[in-house]
Amino acid sequence: MTLPANDNRAERARSLPRPAATIGLLAPALAVVGVLFGGGLALGLVQSLGYLPAAGMSALSADHFARVLADPDFFKSLAFTFYLALASTLVALAVGVAAALALNRLAGRSRAIQFIFQIPLTVPHLVIAIAVAFLLAPSGLLARGLQGLGLLPSGVAFPLLVNDPWGVGIMAAYVWKEVPFIALMVLAVLQSSGAELLEVGRTLKADRWQRFRYITLPIIFPSLGAAGLIVFAYTFGAFEIPYLLGQTYPMMLPVWAYKAYSDVDLLARPEGIAAGLVIAGVVTAAVALAQGLTQAARRRGAVL
Amino acid sequence: MGVLALDELSIAYGADTVVRGLTLEVAEGELVSLLGPSGAGKTSVLKAVAGLLAPAGGDVRIDGCSVRGLPPEKRSAVMVFQKPLLFPFMNVAQNIGFGLRMQAVAPAEARRRIRDILELTRLTGFEGRRVHEISGGQQQRVALARALVLKPAILLLDEPLSSLDANLRQQMRELLQDIQSETRVTTLLVTHDQSEALMLSHRIGLLLDGRLRQVGTPHDLFHRPADRAVAEFFGGCNFLTGRLQGGLFACEIGSFPAPGVVANGHRLTAAIRPEDILVGGDCDHPIPGRVRRTRFEGAATRLWVDCGPVRLVVLTPRGDLLPGQPVCLRLPAEKIRIFPPG
Amino acid sequence: MKRLLFGGMVAGAVLLPFLALVLWAFSQRWFYPRLLPEQWGLRAWQYVLGTAGTQMTEAFTHSVLVATVTAVLSVAGGVPAGRVLGLYHFRGKDLLSIVLMLPIIVPPLCVAMGLHLWLLQLELAATLAGVVLVHLSACLPYAVFVMWGVFSNYNLDFEDQARSLGASTLSVIWRVMLPLTFPGIVVAALFSFLLSWSQYLSTLLIGGGKILTLPILLFALMGSGDRPVAAAVSIVFVIPALAALAMSARYLGSRRMLGVW
Repeated sequence: MTLPANDNRAERARSLPRPAATIGLLAPALAVVGVLFGGGLALGLVQSLGYLPAAGMSALSADHFARVLADPDFFKSLAFTFYLALASTLVALAVGVAAALALNRLAGRSRAIQFIFQIPLTVPHLVIAIAVAFLLAPSGLLARGLQGLGLLPSGVAFPLLVNDPWGVGIMAAYVWKEVPFIALMVLAVLQSSGAELLEVGRTLKADRWQRFRYITLPIIFPSLGAAGLIVFAYTFGAFEIPYLLGQTYPMMLPVWAYKAYSDVDLLARPEGIAAGLVIAGVVTAAVALAQGLTQAARRRGAVL
Repeated sequence: MGVLALDELSIAYGADTVVRGLTLEVAEGELVSLLGPSGAGKTSVLKAVAGLLAPAGGDVRIDGCSVRGLPPEKRSAVMVFQKPLLFPFMNVAQNIGFGLRMQAVAPAEARRRIRDILELTRLTGFEGRRVHEISGGQQQRVALARALVLKPAILLLDEPLSSLDANLRQQMRELLQDIQSETRVTTLLVTHDQSEALMLSHRIGLLLDGRLRQVGTPHDLFHRPADRAVAEFFGGCNFLTGRLQGGLFACEIGSFPAPGVVANGHRLTAAIRPEDILVGGDCDHPIPGRVRRTRFEGAATRLWVDCGPVRLVVLTPRGDLLPGQPVCLRLPAEKIRIFPPG
Repeated sequence: MKRLLFGGMVAGAVLLPFLALVLWAFSQRWFYPRLLPEQWGLRAWQYVLGTAGTQMTEAFTHSVLVATVTAVLSVAGGVPAGRVLGLYHFRGKDLLSIVLMLPIIVPPLCVAMGLHLWLLQLELAATLAGVVLVHLSACLPYAVFVMWGVFSNYNLDFEDQARSLGASTLSVIWRVMLPLTFPGIVVAALFSFLLSWSQYLSTLLIGGGKILTLPILLFALMGSGDRPVAAAVSIVFVIPALAALAMSARYLGSRRMLGVW
C-alpha cells in the first residue's frame, strides 16, 4: 500500500522550522557524530600515517599502511574475516527468513514467543561467547550430551568447534544473536503489508508456493538485503566473539588490529590503527550499500 | 457466469456471532448489494464467500455446488478489497496479469486479455506505470481490472468506492455500472453507503444487527420498507403510531384507509416519506398544521410542521412557506406504509 | 500443536546458552563426561560476591554509572535530532541517514583507537567521562534512529492544536510531545543503555586497564579458566539487560525493536 507514503510526503513538505532552531536541534547529535566519531576516525588516520608523538614520530607517511597491506598475515586475516562474516550472514538470513515465516503462521499473536525471540537482541556479545564456549567446547555440554547418548565413542572424537579453523563456534554465536534481528524485521514487513497482499494473492489464485515466490520474497527482499548487509558489516567488525572463540591463526581482523595496537612495540600501533581503518572502510561500504538498497526500494514504491 | 447462493450463513468472531442465518441468492449477471452499517460483518461475509474466512455455519454454493472447504485459490470467486492493495513491486500491467500468470495462461492470450480489460476500465496507456505513480482512483480501477481479467464466475466487491473522495466516487460508480452491464459478471457488492447501493444494484439485501431484514429492488427498499428498522435506515421517514379500527388506520393526526392490512386492535407503526406529503390543494382529509421551521435545500424546501401532537417533516418544491404560517397537509393513502405488527 | 512445537524449539534454542551458564555457575564439581554436575554448590557465587566482592561492586557500579549517563545523554541528543529527521523532509536526508548509521555499525574499536590519543591530551583517558564519550559516539546515533522512527509516525497536529489552545512551547514539549513519544524514548534509552553496558573493547582501550567495568572483569575471569566463576559473573552481567527488556516489554512490539529501521 503506497498511497500513505505519498500523503505523508505532502504533510512532511512542512517547511523546516527556522534554520537556527533546526541546527540547534540537530547540533548535539551532529556534534557527537562529527567530533567523536569522525574525529576518532580522522585521528586514527593521522596516527596510521605516522603521527605518533609517544614514539617521537611526527612525519606523515604511508609506510605503515604499506607495511600492513604487504603483510601476508593481514591478508589471511582479512580473507578469513570476510569468509566468516559472509557465512554467518547467509546462515542467519536463511534461518531468519524461515523463522519469520514460521512466526507469522504459527505465533503471530503470541506475545510470549515473540518476547523470548527478542532476548538474544539484548544479550551482550561476551555472554553469548562464553555460553557458546561452554556448549561447544570439547568438554562442553554438547560433547557430554552426545557421549551420554552413546553417539560419541570418546571425548577425543568430538570435532573441534571452538577455536577451530572454520570458525564454527564464532558462527554459532553470531547466528544466535542475529537471527532474531532478521526474523523480527522480516516479520514486521510480513505482518503489515504482507498479510493483506497475501490474501489478495490467494483470491487471485496463487497457491502457497506461488505466494511465497511472487509476493512474500519480493516484499521482504529490500529489508532482507539491507539487513543482511548490516549483519555482515557488524560481524565483520565485532571483536569479543572472535577473541574468545577464535583461533590464534589466522585471527579475525578486529582481533589482529587490537593485538597490533596494544603490542608492547609502539611501532605496531599505527599498523593496528591502519587495520582498524580498513575495517571501517569495509563496514562503511556495506552500510552505504544497505542504505542505498533501502532508499532505492522506497523510491520504487516498496513499503519497508 | 455464475450463480451464488448463501444458505443460512453465519459468521462469528470468537464467541460473538455477528451474522446469522444469512440466506441470499445472486442470479447470473446480477449485481446484488449487501447493505448495512459499518462493522456489521459484511466484509466477513464476503471473505467467507471468497474462501479467506471459514463461516461459523451455513453453506456457500457457486453454480449449485458447495464450496465450503475449498481454498480461495480453487474457487471461481475473486474478491476486490477495500484498499487497492496493488503489488508495489510490479507495474500496472504486471499487477493485472498476476492472476493470469498464476493460472499459467499463455502469454499471448494474457496480453490480449490485459489489453481488453485496460480498455474496459479506461486505463489504456497505463501499462508501464508503477503503482506509486498513479492516483487512488486509478489504483482502484487497476484492482478491479486485476480481478475482472480472470473472468470469475462471481465478483466480490468490498466497499470498492469508500477509499475514494466524494467527487471521484460518482465517476467510479458510473464506471462500475458500465462494466457490470457490459461484462454481466455476477457481483456481490458490500457497502454501507445507501446511495451507492440504491444507484448500482439490481437488488439490495439490508443487513441489520446480523440479520437480513429485507431483500428487494432499490425501489422496494426505499418506498416499501418491510419494517421500521429498514425505514429508519434509509432515513428521513415520518413515523406514526396508531391502531387499526374498522379498516382504517387511526393515529394521532387522523384516520387513513388501510387496505389489505389485517391486524385488528394491534398497535401499528406507519411511515411516510417527507417528499410524499403534499402541501395545500384540495384534499379529502386535510391535516392542518403550522410551519415551525424551514430549510432551503435547493431543489426542494424542508419543512417542519407541527400537526397537533405530531411533528411532520415535509419536503416540498414550494418555496413560499414561512415559519409560523398555517398549512394544510395531505397524506396520500397509497404512500403510507403500514408495518405489520411485531 | 504445531505452535507448541515451534514455541518449544524457539525457547530451547534461545534458552540453551543460559542453561549452560546456570549449570556451570551452580556447580561445585563437574568433570567430563558427566551431563550434570556431580556436586552443586555456591562456591562460584561466594567468590563473586565475597572474595571478589569489592571488584564486583566497583565493576558493577562503573558499568551502571557509565551506561546510565550514556543513555541519558543519548536520549537528550537523540530526541531533538530524531524530531527534525522524522518530521521534516529536506535535501541530504538520505546522506545524513548513512552518516548517522555509521557510528553504530563501525566497530567502536576503530574509533577508540583514534580517540585515545586525543583523550590522553585532554586528560580524559582512564576516566569515566572519557569512557562515556567513547560510548556516546555509538549510543547517541542509535537513539537518534529510534526517535527518527518514532517521529516519522508522529502527528504534529497535536502540537498545533495545543498551541492554538494557548500552550507555551515548554508546555507543548512537556505535556504533548513527551507523553506521546514516551514509549519511543524508553526504547531509545533502553538500547543506548544496553549498548553501553555491553561495550568491552572501547572501554578497555580508553580506560587503559584502569577503569574496571563488568565486561572487562568478566573477560579477565574467563581468561583465568575458572568456568563457574565466569558463568556466575556472566549471569550477573546479563541480568540487568534481561530485566530492562522485561520492564519495557510493554513498549516493545516487533516493529519497535528495529529502531534502526
